[in-house]
Amino acid sequence: MTPDPESPILQVQQAVHAYGGNTVLRGVDLTIRAGEIYALLGPNGAGKTTLIRAICGRLKPSGGQVRLAGGDPHSEPRVRACLGLAPQELALYPHLTVRENLEVFASLSGLRAAEVGPAVDAAMAVTRTADRAHVPVRHLSGGYQRRVNIAAAVLHHPRLLILDEPTVGVDMNAREAVDGVIRDLADQGVAVLLITHDLEQAGGLATRVGFLSEGQKVLEGEPAQLIAEAFGERMEVLVQVGADLTPYDEARLADLGLHRSRSGGAWSCLVEDGYGAAARLDKALKGAGLSVREIRVRQPSLQNLFSLISEDRRAA
Amino acid sequence: MTLAMFRVMALELWRDRGALVMAFFLPPLVFLIFSAVFSGTTGENIKLRIAVADVAHTETSRRLMAAMQADPNLRAEAVTPQTLEEVRRQVKSSEADAGLVIRADPGAEGSPIVILADPSRAVAAPLVQARTQQVMAKAMPDILLGRTVRDIGPALGDLTADQTANLKEAEKEARDDAAQGKPTDAESSMFVRDDVVGAKKGGGTIVYYAGAVTVLFALFSAMHGALTLIDERRSGIADRIMAGRAGMGPVVTGKFLFLALQAVVQASAIFATASIVYGTPLLPHIGLWCVTTAAAAICSGGLALGLVSVCRTRDQAQMLSTFVILVLAAIGGSMVPRFLMPPWLQAVGWVTPHAWVIDAYQGVLWRDEGINTLYKAWLVLGLTGAIGLMVAQITTRYARR
Repeated sequence: MTPDPESPILQVQQAVHAYGGNTVLRGVDLTIRAGEIYALLGPNGAGKTTLIRAICGRLKPSGGQVRLAGGDPHSEPRVRACLGLAPQELALYPHLTVRENLEVFASLSGLRAAEVGPAVDAAMAVTRTADRAHVPVRHLSGGYQRRVNIAAAVLHHPRLLILDEPTVGVDMNAREAVDGVIRDLADQGVAVLLITHDLEQAGGLATRVGFLSEGQKVLEGEPAQLIAEAFGERMEVLVQVGADLTPYDEARLADLGLHRSRSGGAWSCLVEDGYGAAARLDKALKGAGLSVREIRVRQPSLQNLFSLISEDRRAA
Repeated sequence: MTLAMFRVMALELWRDRGALVMAFFLPPLVFLIFSAVFSGTTGENIKLRIAVADVAHTETSRRLMAAMQADPNLRAEAVTPQTLEEVRRQVKSSEADAGLVIRADPGAEGSPIVILADPSRAVAAPLVQARTQQVMAKAMPDILLGRTVRDIGPALGDLTADQTANLKEAEKEARDDAAQGKPTDAESSMFVRDDVVGAKKGGGTIVYYAGAVTVLFALFSAMHGALTLIDERRSGIADRIMAGRAGMGPVVTGKFLFLALQAVVQASAIFATASIVYGTPLLPHIGLWCVTTAAAAICSGGLALGLVSVCRTRDQAQMLSTFVILVLAAIGGSMVPRFLMPPWLQAVGWVTPHAWVIDAYQGVLWRDEGINTLYKAWLVLGLTGAIGLMVAQITTRYARR
């Protein structure tokens, strides 16, 4: 029976879970459909790992329910055949070649012997790793290793693919290659649940994002729409100043409405009149004797939204 | 699925040449070393190094010196200078296992021979005494005869002229026989030795150490292989597999089969070496040997997986592995023969698989035991392995990183 493309492959309803007395999921809802790339965002300890474990059937939520392809992944092992997981670590055997690894995981995913070869070829094709088929995984570059990590999760043609930090520790080119693989898989109808701290990647890839904070989903929607709703016409002005700032200099930057960015190298603010504000800031900073290396104006990103939500949560 | 995991383990081992050598070449080598060392501790191959000095300088004492130096069962070396002090010094400094000083003519009355031994080698003195008596009985029967007659003289009274002449004749005959290498009357004794089971030289010890090294390395390699359970948990492989339909069950089973087969190959290599080098009668008992080996393999594979599966980290598992390998081997008799242990330690040893494996192999290849005796060891080993495997299956199902 062909699954209905409109029916959700994953439905999490009011999931609640606690370890000991510590509640880590507080009524989380999550729905993902075929062909969708859903980025689940949130700080460490937000409950992402527990939610993934519940979706993978590794634990049964103490409240609410998880439905994967219409079944319960915890009590019905057969529905887990619809699921592919690429963990954050390289979940591969380093001494084995790419092909050997994929053959092993194809067998472990329940494919029959006759299906293994074609499945391995298809997975290598979609992840563009066929040219390294006979290279031991430990000798591959970081980007190839990440793609093989994904290939091992799609051998059995899962309807839901969970990618946990799929580009952690790889360079820009490798990240773009991995992004391309994820898009191709979504185009083939695979629902992708992406867990990442890379908000730039999430903004560029995801059709929808969800913010998890302290076990609750605090925001969900299409990235562009969420940003527009949160920031309207405001633009972000980024200011790079000299490295040797005194506490007095920092106080003057704060007086001008600037906040230190999370990476610590730049100061920024969100303003209605982006370019006009940038010119005024440039003048004010020079007048204050601060050496300005760069001023940029750009559209707000998921990073800004993430910071906004974090600040709101802290304030609350 | 099970075969896929078996293949992973086999390929990982094949590509790690160090581990490959450790798994299959080291066990026969260690067995050869152990058997060479310990086959002598039972007295079969002991050749004591004796420092000898002749301070009597008589014809008879020279004969004894020459006979002792010629005896293939001793390593008698004349010291220089030929003094009691030099012999004492060599024994004290462990240059010699024991010392022997001929201080008077061996045929004379009293105690013409002094044996010097280090008290820490208590067995050396009686061994030297026994060997010297054997040498004298073989090479100097005339002297022994004369001493015997002299010893019993007070009970018999003075010899007549004819008896004295007969004694002289008998002494001459004994000396001639000894010179021609004929067996002498003095060599016969009230004891008759009957080696049990038509034993080959050192056979019991060889079988003991073949079994001891087999179980030692089976457990060592199994613990090393079982550590991959922790690696898979840490690398996310376990998460990937458990997210699938089958879970970790086939993975654990595949590992168990590989570890068991690895132990069988190790045992085959060790016992083939024992058979070739020492003539251990493997082929006539091959059926029972196979069952014993299978039981030992099941035990080592299951026990290793069960123990490693309850550890949370690699460090914990390695510490436990070291403890299990060393302590169980020491108590179970893989390092020192169990018959040398005090009785209470021998009793404690039965809680280790080592004792059961060694005893079962000795039962098969040395004591010619049958199924009706061996079944107990097979059951203990098989059940231990099955419980370990069951623990691993249950624990890995709920394992968290």
